Amino acid sequence: MTAPILTRLRRDATQGAMGRVKFLLAAPALALSAGCVSVSAPDKPIEINLNINIRQEVVVRLQQDVKELIDKNPGVF
Amino acid sequence: MNRRLKLILAAGLGLAVIAGGATVASAMLLQDASAELRSSGQAGEQADGYLGLVGSASADLRAKVDAVNIKRRAYYTDLAAKRGAKIEEVAATTACELLRNKVGAGQFYRLPDGVWRKREGAIALPSYCG
Repeated sequence: MTAPILTRLRRDATQGAMGRVKFLLAAPALALSAGCVSVSAPDKPIEINLNINIRQEVVVRLQQDVKELIDKNPGVF
Repeated sequence: MNRRLKLILAAGLGLAVIAGGATVASAMLLQDASAELRSSGQAGEQADGYLGLVGSASADLRAKVDAVNIKRRAYYTDLAAKRGAKIEEVAATTACELLRNKVGAGQFYRLPDGVWRKREGAIALPSYCG
């Protein structure tokens, strides 16, 4: 037996409204996750090798860039 | 408004609050994670440009150090590509700078000899640091 027409109409209206509410709730969650900067792990594990093979002229050449890198990322360095 | 609708609304609101909180927390972690780890005395700066664990560490601490190092590695990789240098070269140059300016008195550091030392006065930097 089918529900009377008025009952059916009322149910449809409620479900339509709920659909919209779900969408509205999903929107801020999407916006939040879009704002995050994702940092993915490298493929290989970070190896700790303290035997450093580097020439001083390379250090001198990179020094200014490195100073800026440190200043711009206080949490990481 | 029926009960189910109210439930969905409440759940959505809860999710939004959790997501917002997580964003704030991760931003706070970023702000001075490295400095906090150094000052805790449980992690120190290494000559290879990464943070290392001084002695045994909890899983939580290890995760924090790993998180910082993964970000460092990403920055080193990026700069190395820009300047046509090796990742290790950028990392070692950064280490020179960090050892010179960021390791505070009483904080730990490790040079190529592999020994953890506490900073007292100036650090005897490796010769390549210039």
